Amino acid sequence: MSHDKFHRIILPLKDKLFRLAWSIVRDSAEAEDIVQDVFVKLWTKNDEWDGIENLEAYCFRATKNLAFDRVESLSIRKTENIASESENGVFVDDITPLLKLVETERNTLIYKCIDQLSENQKMVFQLREIEGMSYKEIADTMEISEDLVKVSLFRARNKMRELLSGKQ
Amino acid sequence: MNIERIHILLEKYWNCETSVSEEQELQEFYNFGDVPDDLQQLVPMFSYKQDQHAIALSDDFEKKLETSIRKADRKKQYITIKIFEPFLRIAASIILIAGIGVSVYFFARQNNQVFAETYNDPGAALEQATSALEKLSMALQTTEEASLKSLEQLDNLDLDWSEIDSLSSEIPLYNPDSNNNIESETL
Repeated sequence: MSHDKFHRIILPLKDKLFRLAWSIVRDSAEAEDIVQDVFVKLWTKNDEWDGIENLEAYCFRATKNLAFDRVESLSIRKTENIASESENGVFVDDITPLLKLVETERNTLIYKCIDQLSENQKMVFQLREIEGMSYKEIADTMEISEDLVKVSLFRARNKMRELLSGKQ
Repeated sequence: MNIERIHILLEKYWNCETSVSEEQELQEFYNFGDVPDDLQQLVPMFSYKQDQHAIALSDDFEKKLETSIRKADRKKQYITIKIFEPFLRIAASIILIAGIGVSVYFFARQNNQVFAETYNDPGAALEQATSALEKLSMALQTTEEASLKSLEQLDNLDLDWSEIDSLSSEIPLYNPDSNNNIESETL
């Protein structure tokens, strides 16, 4: 039964897929929902698995696509929420511990930067910086060339650098 | 850690020339090292990366997944039935029509045996029918004649009808009143 494949290959990816979905929607419940949807869809289409060359890559792409669809359809703008929360923290709510405030501000800065990245750049950034995948692995997962992976990562890192050094 | 090396690694990092292990080295420097002021600006990025790495699904995820997979399996079965529903309808109609057709065919065949055509020549058929009707007519005529004859014989007997009528009055008739009287007396 091919459902053995599900437990062997697909299920162990759950945390990686969750992190990818989270980096796009920035909401734990929503990200969990996305991963679950991807898994359920894959489970019910188990007769098509043999036609999929790289099941792992397929999972990543499906998660990415679904996450971007969710962001669009639900217009989740978590960065805006977080930004307004931190603003409140600065100007109104002085009970918030300073450390937490600094942390939120830090993340807001990173989110702002990530939001400026294209879909591909976001995914490359996530797979390289968080999951520590090689260029070859990323290229296979995203079905793009290694050169394009490098270019995307170069742009993403430089955008991050500009933002952090306060040039932007 | 050697700050010189960190600077070199960072330069390589921005140019996307670092290996995964070198990037890990940088990450560790930012996680545990004493970060000098000129490198502080990169702290948000490395701490974000560190935070992200710690993100994981809740423990009950697999249980929830199992539940929704079971639900999806049931839905799939339902969908299959739904897809075949029009075909099932068509199949049912075909069976119904075929059934009616077959029964009509057999019924007609049976009836044909009863009302089967036995004459090829219409003239002969008419002749046969006429002779049959004549036979019937003759039979009716004989019975009619016989009954008329018996009535005539009765008339010729010259009976005294009043005597016969008085005979019938002697037969005790059922009287509900007299019956009631007996019952009340016994009570």
